[in-house]
Amino acid sequence: MCLLGAMGSGIFIDRKYFYLGLRQNVEDQFNPSKRFLVIILTMLTLLTLYSTIIPISLYVSIETIKFIQSSQFINKDLNMYHAETNTPASARTSNLNEELGQVEYIFSDKTGTLTRNLMEFFKCSIGGEIYGIGMTEIEKGVTERKGIKVQEVQTSNDSVQEKGFNFYDGRLLRGAWRNEPNHDACKEFFRCLAICHTVLPEGEESPAKIKYQAASPDEAALVLAAKNFGFFFYRRTPSMIYVRESHAERMGKTQDVSYEILNVLEFNSTRKRQSVVCRCPDGRLVLYCKGADTVIYERLGSGNDDLNKATRDHLEQFGSAGLRTLCLAYRDLAPDLYESWNEKFIKAKSSLRDREKKLDEVAELIEKELILIGATAIEDKLQEGVPSCIQTLSRAGIKIWVLTGDKMETAINIAYACNLLNNEMKQFIISSETDAIREVEERGDQTEIACFIKEDVKKQLKQSLDEASQYFCAPSGPKLGLVIDGKCLTYALDSSLRIMLLTLGLNCASVVCCRVSPLQKAQVTSLVKKGAHKITLSIGDGANDVSMIQAAHIGIGISGLEGMQAVMASDFAIAQFRFLEDLLLVHGRWSYIRLCKVVMYFFYKNLAFTLTQFWFTFNTGFSGQRFYDDWFQSLYNVIFTALPVIIVGLFDKDISPPLSKKYPELYKEGIRNKFFKWRVVAIWAFFSIYQSLVFFYFISAFSSTSQDRSGKMFGLWDVSTMAFTCVVVTINLRLLMMCNSITRWHCISVGGSILVWFVFIFLYSGITTPLDRNENMYWVIYILMSTPSFYVTLLLVPVAALLVDFLYLCVQRWFFPYDYQIIQEMHKDDIHCTGPQGVLGSKQQLIPDEERSNEISQLPREVSKHSGFAFDSPGYESFFASQSGKYVTPNAWDVARRASIRHKATPK
Amino acid sequence: MADMNRERHRTRETAFYLFTQQSLPACKPVLTPGWVVEIVDRYDTECVPEAFRIDKISYIQDDSIPKNCSRFMKVHKYMKAPIYIYYQLDNYYQNHRRYVKSRSDKQLLHGQKYHDTSSCQPVELNSGQPIVPCGLIAWSLFNDSFTFIRERAELKVNRKNIAWKSDRDHKFGKNVHPFNFQNGTLIGGGKLNPKIPLSDQEDLIVWMRTSALPSFRKLYGRIEEDLDADDVIVVNLMNNYNTYSFGGKKKLVLSTSSWLGGKNDFLGHACVIIGSSSLILAIVFTLLHLKYRRPHGDTSYLPWNRKSLSG
Repeated sequence: MCLLGAMGSGIFIDRKYFYLGLRQNVEDQFNPSKRFLVIILTMLTLLTLYSTIIPISLYVSIETIKFIQSSQFINKDLNMYHAETNTPASARTSNLNEELGQVEYIFSDKTGTLTRNLMEFFKCSIGGEIYGIGMTEIEKGVTERKGIKVQEVQTSNDSVQEKGFNFYDGRLLRGAWRNEPNHDACKEFFRCLAICHTVLPEGEESPAKIKYQAASPDEAALVLAAKNFGFFFYRRTPSMIYVRESHAERMGKTQDVSYEILNVLEFNSTRKRQSVVCRCPDGRLVLYCKGADTVIYERLGSGNDDLNKATRDHLEQFGSAGLRTLCLAYRDLAPDLYESWNEKFIKAKSSLRDREKKLDEVAELIEKELILIGATAIEDKLQEGVPSCIQTLSRAGIKIWVLTGDKMETAINIAYACNLLNNEMKQFIISSETDAIREVEERGDQTEIACFIKEDVKKQLKQSLDEASQYFCAPSGPKLGLVIDGKCLTYALDSSLRIMLLTLGLNCASVVCCRVSPLQKAQVTSLVKKGAHKITLSIGDGANDVSMIQAAHIGIGISGLEGMQAVMASDFAIAQFRFLEDLLLVHGRWSYIRLCKVVMYFFYKNLAFTLTQFWFTFNTGFSGQRFYDDWFQSLYNVIFTALPVIIVGLFDKDISPPLSKKYPELYKEGIRNKFFKWRVVAIWAFFSIYQSLVFFYFISAFSSTSQDRSGKMFGLWDVSTMAFTCVVVTINLRLLMMCNSITRWHCISVGGSILVWFVFIFLYSGITTPLDRNENMYWVIYILMSTPSFYVTLLLVPVAALLVDFLYLCVQRWFFPYDYQIIQEMHKDDIHCTGPQGVLGSKQQLIPDEERSNEISQLPREVSKHSGFAFDSPGYESFFASQSGKYVTPNAWDVARRASIRHKATPK
Repeated sequence: MADMNRERHRTRETAFYLFTQQSLPACKPVLTPGWVVEIVDRYDTECVPEAFRIDKISYIQDDSIPKNCSRFMKVHKYMKAPIYIYYQLDNYYQNHRRYVKSRSDKQLLHGQKYHDTSSCQPVELNSGQPIVPCGLIAWSLFNDSFTFIRERAELKVNRKNIAWKSDRDHKFGKNVHPFNFQNGTLIGGGKLNPKIPLSDQEDLIVWMRTSALPSFRKLYGRIEEDLDADDVIVVNLMNNYNTYSFGGKKKLVLSTSSWLGGKNDFLGHACVIIGSSSLILAIVFTLLHLKYRRPHGDTSYLPWNRKSLSG
């Protein structure tokens, strides 16, 4: 623009314009004999003249908006306030708000973030019978999807309430198990729980006060369960375990029983089981064993197929419900058999070389022909609302990667519990725990191990990728899930395999990385951050998550329980994982949409304003004469158009929070950056060009003749003031047109801005000070206001300028509506039926719709069809109702706008 | 008492009389047509004698050649007084930056008492003496003059009150008299009578309210007599002002005025076009609404629904 103007000035300047006094004493800028210099200097002049196109105040405004958004809205959102720990959300930085609305990848820690690190005995299967009537969140979700109303389990007041024991079943508790048909199995089951472990009791030997010290929380939960079933383990000596058994022989009888522990076959990751050989007081030798179903089932004795099958069904049921299962079994040992075995065991134990291996081998000899008792199911207690939150987020198009230091089984289990993996998914598991790798590892050559694993990982990756690629294109194919462990990840992150890993990972709906180090967490995060060019978010709670939190675009720390390191390193801190839903879908989405609007509006208003100046330059012989007074130009951005756009940046609300959580798919608009594309910019640019032309040419055409009865003509400053008035009015009104919701603040700020302009111009043109050398503007507004045509112009120009915008908005809404606009329309009546009924009503209305699409998709547990979770938190309804009193909701505006289509002709 | 009665009686009678005689005082809404009549006459070429047509610049710069010129204007429609006389210049960049700033508002108000007239460059001083009014704008004052004759009788032209009152009262000093004006070697335009204060030099005041666009009109005066249709007006003008060097046009405009000002087709057209396009849009949208109605909240538009239905 400047160049064009400058060239023009070089060509234009000529001595023939005698009235410009160009014959002598001409400064360089207008010297016709130095045309090149004229071009350069005019260029600089025009640069300053058109500098308004660069919205310096944009920076300030956006910072203000972001700061208020984060400090007032995010920090004070009651939906993200965790009352139990008295922790509100806290935004520790204010410049990532809009990125919260575009997150596509979430990297999450497991322990403390998804789970509470609290194991609770939840269910069990004894003798082919399931006990425990609780439901996991997954099961609740499944049943809800099937349309069965979930009946909240009535836990009677007398049920046992203890941390680590979340079991209720009247058939087992308080000795009632004696009445069960398989009470012998129950007794063995409980005994096994009470004896087969490596837990140390601590503190006073009474059921209420004792504390168990266990290597793993699972064991503690199991022993705790035994206590609650009446088998209270209270003391351990090196060779004895003391158990206070209630109801063992008959109801109501309590007796202390001591078991002599002969051997303990400890747990390790290859054995995946643990056994104890003990001698009961009656002299019976028993081996109690608990372990993973795979290893136990291999070692079961023949017979009892019905029981085994029933228990296996139960195990699968538990597993898909996200519970951690263990199988319990026992074996009665004949004394002579035991003695011979014990010799071997002692020998193995005292050997100096390969003791571990030898012990394992010896254990194999006795851990066979087991008799299955049952299975336990422990819930790795998830944080509140995690599965539904994850489901909502994945409907929103966000992919969740779980990065955990835990073992693969645990990680997969949690992934199931969180709905990240399910049985319909195509799962790729890349593990280093294969027999081949183990074999190589045993040989102990480090370089060989490295080479072998690398080759193996490469092979597995390639295979997975080939398999996965056939699903890439098919939209209806199963979702993909990837599980990879840390050791494989070390090699997969190698530069040669990185691309493959990335391609595979990005195409999976969920990825689970287990056994990863904090460094690897960061590596994976930055791999995706750099490789996918998408906004990434990390969430974690502990010190080991700090690197990951720093590596991602947005780091989120879970505040409240563990130390502060994660929070200190994070950008946002929330108390619970489930608040991520509010943070992203509500705050992030709003921030994104608002900031897009603000930026676009700034671009538009400055372009429109500067372009009028540009058109004027063409009519001043390219001399760089300013069209507007200095003060107009500098106050335009600062005062006359500043506040309304900030108000929009703060209060614009397309749909209410419950709706944005009900339709998380709306979030995809942010991921695709739909509101900040070149197309959008071009549309705004088009409107600013059009409007600036309207401003300039309408006003110059009007001013070509006299304006009132006195026949006097307007001068330059009258015309420019008139144009500026029209610009201010139009630009401010355009803002109202693009709002989704109009609160009283919108009206006040828009009206106020226009009013401030008039007050300013009245004062400015009414007062002259000795300091003010330039009297151009003197009395201008009074002259303008005395002519009727000023008012006609003031009506006509904004209407003409906004007519095309209006047309565009109508057509856009009519034929190419944005997703959120449809939602607005669907819920436009919500305001009429206030409160919860309205929300519920629309929800029920939707159910047949959903069922239809369920049938079509033929996937009974298709995740994206799930709905209804958006309203599970209490308080939204009341929040909604209070809002409707305060604000005109978006829907009302929509109605008004639609109605105005028909009334549009009347004002002109 | 009787007097009063009679008095009252008479007033009533009078009122009755006015009523019966149908002569009640009344406002008479006569709908006067809002026609604005405008006559435009371009005279810059015609007023150069044939002999000088080739080199107009030497003609205009030569003081010895008489500049008077006669034009005939035919009134094609009845023009009601006041009729405004404008001169219109085209291709005249009064809004050029160098031009616009070359003035001193302080000097215009305070006269020679105000010394800092550097803004008036390059017409600031002449032979060491300040120029009042200084600056390019004043220096290039338009100096064509017009007299109008209808049927041998001169039409009276009122040249008072042609500038905005605020300019006269607040911007141009009552005690400031032109000084050392147009005394240089180069004469830009009109001269000013040093006896008359600036606040009464309305030609100057009008001229110094610089125009916004390179084509502009400025008010010259008012004819305060009605002109009838088919009147022929003889305009005797002094063609003094040099627009020939830069190819500017000079036009003389006679125009009446309405409450919305002078004749402005654009305003009318704009109103009509915007109004009608709004109307058309309204109709189109109503038709669309009736015929191709998009159901409110049609979920099939939602992308995730589209996907699941197709797949």
